[in-house]
Amino acid sequence: MRLHEYEAKEIFSKYGINVQQGGLAKTLEEAKQIAINIGMPVVIKSQVLVGGRGKAGGIRVVDNLNDVKRVADEVLKLEIKGYKPEGVLVLKKVEIKTEIYLGITIDRTSGIPMIILCSEGGVEIEEVAYRNPEKISKLPVNPLQNLYSYQVINAVKKIGLTGKVLVETVNIVTKLYQVFKEYDGLIAEINPLVLTKDDEIFCVDAVLQVDDSALFRHPELNKRKLSSMSERDKRFLRKGATFVKLDGNIGLICSGAGLAMATMDMIKDYPPLSPANFLETGGGITSELMVDCMELILEQQNLRAVFLNLYGGINPIHEGAKGIAKVVKEKKVNIPIVAKALGNRQEETWKTLEEVGVHVIKESETQKAVKFLAELLGVK
Amino acid sequence: MSILINKNTRVLVQGITGNIGSIQTKYMLREGTKIVAGVTPGKGGERVENIPVFDTVEEAINNFKIDVSVLFVPARVAKDSVIEAIDAGIKTVVLITEHTPVHDVMEMKAYALQKKTLLIGPTTPGIINPSECKVGILPANMFSPGPVGIISRSGTLSYEVAANLCAIGIGQSTVVGMGADRVAGTNLVDILKLFSEDKETKVVVIVGEIGGTQEEDAAEYIKEKMSKPVIAYIAGVSVPPGKRMGHAGAIIEGGKGSAKSKIQALIAAGAKIADRLYEIPSLAKGLIS
Repeated sequence: MRLHEYEAKEIFSKYGINVQQGGLAKTLEEAKQIAINIGMPVVIKSQVLVGGRGKAGGIRVVDNLNDVKRVADEVLKLEIKGYKPEGVLVLKKVEIKTEIYLGITIDRTSGIPMIILCSEGGVEIEEVAYRNPEKISKLPVNPLQNLYSYQVINAVKKIGLTGKVLVETVNIVTKLYQVFKEYDGLIAEINPLVLTKDDEIFCVDAVLQVDDSALFRHPELNKRKLSSMSERDKRFLRKGATFVKLDGNIGLICSGAGLAMATMDMIKDYPPLSPANFLETGGGITSELMVDCMELILEQQNLRAVFLNLYGGINPIHEGAKGIAKVVKEKKVNIPIVAKALGNRQEETWKTLEEVGVHVIKESETQKAVKFLAELLGVK
Repeated sequence: MSILINKNTRVLVQGITGNIGSIQTKYMLREGTKIVAGVTPGKGGERVENIPVFDTVEEAINNFKIDVSVLFVPARVAKDSVIEAIDAGIKTVVLITEHTPVHDVMEMKAYALQKKTLLIGPTTPGIINPSECKVGILPANMFSPGPVGIISRSGTLSYEVAANLCAIGIGQSTVVGMGADRVAGTNLVDILKLFSEDKETKVVVIVGEIGGTQEEDAAEYIKEKMSKPVIAYIAGVSVPPGKRMGHAGAIIEGGKGSAKSKIQALIAAGAKIADRLYEIPSLAKGLIS
């Protein structure tokens, strides 16, 4: 779950990290009121969960109070990469002397938290990391131990900070790590961390992504996440299923992410066939879940067929088949459905599917099933 | 020979009385797995498939010798249960559970490393030596005994690869699911080492996935030390990049992690690359004969 900048900043601020004055506005009147309270100039920032806001015109500096409503209106109406903002942050503009990058994430291979600092912050950080690796300071943290200040001091010194700024930055790193740990962070990032001309330090942009698997430990966030979801999405979340919309013409349901990716590659080998979606059920298949999956798939426009690739390891595919059959019967589905389903209780599964006219492929190779699908649709 | 488990391995099932635990216990027994005991707190004294159930791992250990524990416990208690098994002195722990918080996984992994315990998973289908022993959820009818070792980050793909091999008459020595989560208890290289030393394994198949740098690290090992041929497939070549989530991951991986980077590293190390899943069997056939 990725939080909005304003939500992340609320949390960072609660932990004692300095953020600019200001607040979230959902209306033009609110935006103006915040600007009056904090004084000009202000920065108006679109609260949308995609990157590249600045380049898209979603971050604007306003010098004159009379312009606040107009600019806020423009930013509120601006769609970025297809997303509408939830509101705008109206913040007191700070005078930047230096920008620093600070991020904490998980090093997947060693399986430990990694704190990363860079003497140059900003949007080009990855470029800097690639071209000038010496500007990057990395601090791996032992998950079984506390983070000790001497470790942080050493890491921060490596990016050239001294004196009061060194001490304050060490403080911020320590607090951000606390947020990362206590909020089950996947990423906690301040980019940039700004040092002003008056030697004050501000968190100017904030990213916090929380592990969905840990939301049971964060009921407040969980409630927020659920409130924005449809009932079906909630059931998907509970069962661990994942759906991603794509552009193609074959509805796809697979019982694992790896299998789904491999199947997508094979379908694309038969242009113009292409997956309309990515859907993996995870290990929680039930009859009801498959009803949800099928209904979701069939809502998609321009489908030429549905392709199912299921394994019964932990998944009771014979139960899943009942859900599929129910939808096929009730919705009178008139596009072909091709299914490959193997593993525990495969014979029962095949029988249930064949009874409602699903083309069942009993061989183990997915490419044979995909080839059958292509031939059925007249594609070579 | 085979790696990690064999027909004499004594297995404990944590979470044996649950829906999944009890069904999978039945399936594992059917494959010849020597399950000696189960654990579910509060269910001590019961029996599942005639296997005695204890309240704690310690009680089970006091009654039976145990080599491997396999866990079907809820995600929110996964960390506790894994550490319980490690503290009881079990040296191989297989965590099947999905959706374990990654901060818990980091803690378990560090603890397992400290206590010299092999932690497989989470979100792993487990391990199978076809016709001998199965620890986990892999559907046994997809596998048969033979000379190919498989290490897979994806559960379902390990079934598919094994089944495709079986279709042309090539069986498997051991199939190991690494676990599909952001952090895995054991890395690819650790399992490669075991296969490298195993006499029965003639060829190793790596089924990788985009993300992380495990395959790149494996490539280094293959180049330097691997004693037998390796075939690799990376899933996700055609997956469109998702929404950007900050920069930190990309900085750590420094350009690694993409399918292209993994494939290049593996080719440079001398591994055979299967661009499509279905090319694996013929590549394996060529390398065995």
